[in-house]
Amino acid sequence: MAFSTTVFQRKYIKRKAPRGFLKRVFKRQKPHLRLETSSDLLVHLNCLLFVHRLAEESRMNAFENKYGIIKKEHVQAAAKITKLSTNFKLGTTNLGTFGLHLKKLTFRSYYKTRFCELLVSHFLREVD
Amino acid sequence: MKKPRLRRVDTFVQVHSQVKVPPKPGYNHRNTLLAPLSSRVRTATPVRPCGSLARVDLNAAAGRRRLRLPQRLGGGWLRRWRSATIATASLRRARSCGACWILRIRIPRGDAGVLELGMAGSCPSVAQKALLETPSSRRLSTPTKMNVRRGSHRARSIGRLAHVHTSGNLEEQTPRTLLKNIILTAPESSIMTPKSVVKPVPTPQVVRSSRQESSRGSLELQLPELEPPTTLALGLLAPGRRKQRLRLSVFQQEMDQGLPLSQEPRGNASASSLTSSLSLTFASPLQTQSVQRPGLARRPPTRRAVDVGAFLQDLRDTSLALASPGDSLRTPVATLPTDTVLEDTQPFSQPLVGHSPSVYHSLPFLSHTEAENSERAVSRRTQSSGSRLQNHNPGKPAQLLAGKAKKIDVLAVSLPNNSSAISGEDGVEPLQDGVGEEAEERMEESLSVSEVMGSTGTQGSVRTEKSKGHGEMTEALEAKEPEGSSEDEDISGRTASPELASSTTEFLQARRPQFLEPAPPPSTTVLSSEPLEPLPTRHHPRARTHGPRPRQDPHKTGLSHYVKLFSFYAKMPMEKKALEMVEKCLDKYFQHLCDDLEVFSAHAGRKTVRPEDLELLMRRQGLVNDQVSLHVLVERHLPLEYRQLLIPCAFSGNSVFPAQ
Repeated sequence: MAFSTTVFQRKYIKRKAPRGFLKRVFKRQKPHLRLETSSDLLVHLNCLLFVHRLAEESRMNAFENKYGIIKKEHVQAAAKITKLSTNFKLGTTNLGTFGLHLKKLTFRSYYKTRFCELLVSHFLREVD
Repeated sequence: MKKPRLRRVDTFVQVHSQVKVPPKPGYNHRNTLLAPLSSRVRTATPVRPCGSLARVDLNAAAGRRRLRLPQRLGGGWLRRWRSATIATASLRRARSCGACWILRIRIPRGDAGVLELGMAGSCPSVAQKALLETPSSRRLSTPTKMNVRRGSHRARSIGRLAHVHTSGNLEEQTPRTLLKNIILTAPESSIMTPKSVVKPVPTPQVVRSSRQESSRGSLELQLPELEPPTTLALGLLAPGRRKQRLRLSVFQQEMDQGLPLSQEPRGNASASSLTSSLSLTFASPLQTQSVQRPGLARRPPTRRAVDVGAFLQDLRDTSLALASPGDSLRTPVATLPTDTVLEDTQPFSQPLVGHSPSVYHSLPFLSHTEAENSERAVSRRTQSSGSRLQNHNPGKPAQLLAGKAKKIDVLAVSLPNNSSAISGEDGVEPLQDGVGEEAEERMEESLSVSEVMGSTGTQGSVRTEKSKGHGEMTEALEAKEPEGSSEDEDISGRTASPELASSTTEFLQARRPQFLEPAPPPSTTVLSSEPLEPLPTRHHPRARTHGPRPRQDPHKTGLSHYVKLFSFYAKMPMEKKALEMVEKCLDKYFQHLCDDLEVFSAHAGRKTVRPEDLELLMRRQGLVNDQVSLHVLVERHLPLEYRQLLIPCAFSGNSVFPAQ
């Protein structure tokens, strides 16, 4: 009800989220899952931030090496660092649920989790 | 008035800032509004919601302002007051930002959530820049939990700063004032002058009827008038210097156009001159405009010296039927610039032989540089985008037959230039549409070249030549261009059926052996029927490339959106390989993202991914923590419309959107 009463001065959004594209990608990857309306936009937000971080990193790399142009190597190195910092799940481990309960994750905590998982898995194997 | 508007900003900013936390069902908004506000407001009166509530504080502020007292709330505000002077320039910038204007304009009643957002949401960078000094001071003073309040403070301080500094400062930068300045200070303008001349007509009471004089005078202004300089002076002295400038320009025109035109109005002394002047003015308005406003003049395209001899020879070689258009072309050379420009922009809806050869022949008179090629490419693209492949066909073969000579020159001289325009399309080789267009062009040029060679056997060699040329050029191109063009053609191509594209190529291939004969003027019906016929028969040679294309293209175009964002964020020139690398990274990123979301939603026992999963993901990534909440990120990076959808806001009538 309140939404309808607002009147926009502009008829177009400057930087639209490619919602169709995102939905299609998600469907291709996980056809058995559904993506909600708002989460679509949040995925876009996540992408934006990721790209932002990537760009910053690669820019820093290029500056460090005193290049005026961003090269492939800079981007590669930046991607490695960014991927690490984003703490993506590296496949499915037996104890994959460990990572879910952690709220704050930094570099240290990330490595801690990995280490803990390894330890525990090792221990379990020993027990077996 | 500005003041009340700004006040409203403050009110709604305040109101909105209270609703940072999505309330539980049944939560009373008034309580939330009460508590924090009461800490700030000195008066401890029990407040009623919304308008009256906000007004309490504002009235106090207004009173303080009137008395020129420093802002209350201690050091932070004082610092802000002092830094206001520093920040005026940045403030102006902020105000001139389009989003900020939107904020000011869009202030309906009772819509708390809308307003402040425009400020903070859609122009975050500007707002951040604008208040470099102020946020620093503010952050020192304000407590930690001021995430949303920061935004509110920003808007508020902007409002206050605007208040503080007289509206005169801010007026300078408004589009309105800019326009005003332009109008006032701009030199003569032929569009404006008739009105301006008509305006002061009643004021100077001259001998003749005022209106007639004015109209006549206005018309004569555009003419190189000499006869009534006195009348002009009488009629125009009153308005002032603008008319004097006009007279100068008019004088210039007169010199340009020469005496013959000027003599005409001189000859006609009486009202008949009106009509003559009228007719004359209509003839030369464009020129006058161009003289008075040099920036707006259409630059005549630079023409190369045409090798008329070779041109004629080629014409003769092709067919006798084309000789006549060749002759006729030489005459309209003078009027070419406008004609060609006009003709080229028009779609080829009339596939007349007379038209097309003239159009095509006119092209050689243009420069053989990228301008022409881009123009052709653009014209082709516009054609294709209008899904006029069918019309394209009839136009094209006619042109092909007619403009072979031109093709020779094009090929010989500007092959690299040509292919630069085409290889943009060549880079989208995988696209059906791109193939259609590019193949058409290939066929075109191969046709022309082969025609010149005079043997069909050379077509294959020509094609290889062209492909080689293309291969060279593709590497020289940026990856963006094919992506960009792929996007365009993707969009355009989806409208046109892929069968049409393939059919056109087949059709052109079929046409190749026929071009040697002087073809009859092609009719649309004939040609439209023809593409359908060779379709089933000739589909095979092009079928190989149709395989993985439809799956890759939309994916790539979607990714290219983020790749462009990457290059924007990087603010540095990038290599093509780096961009491809970014694409791969994005691919991997999406895969990881989907996996993570799946795990999270499974953990919650759901099969739908919901915003909570996304929030958890961002927490894991370290983007969201106790200092920075998800809403802040949404505010910063997403446009206003999305923010409205994501962050629950309170609206009038105690309703929250989106519903919790």
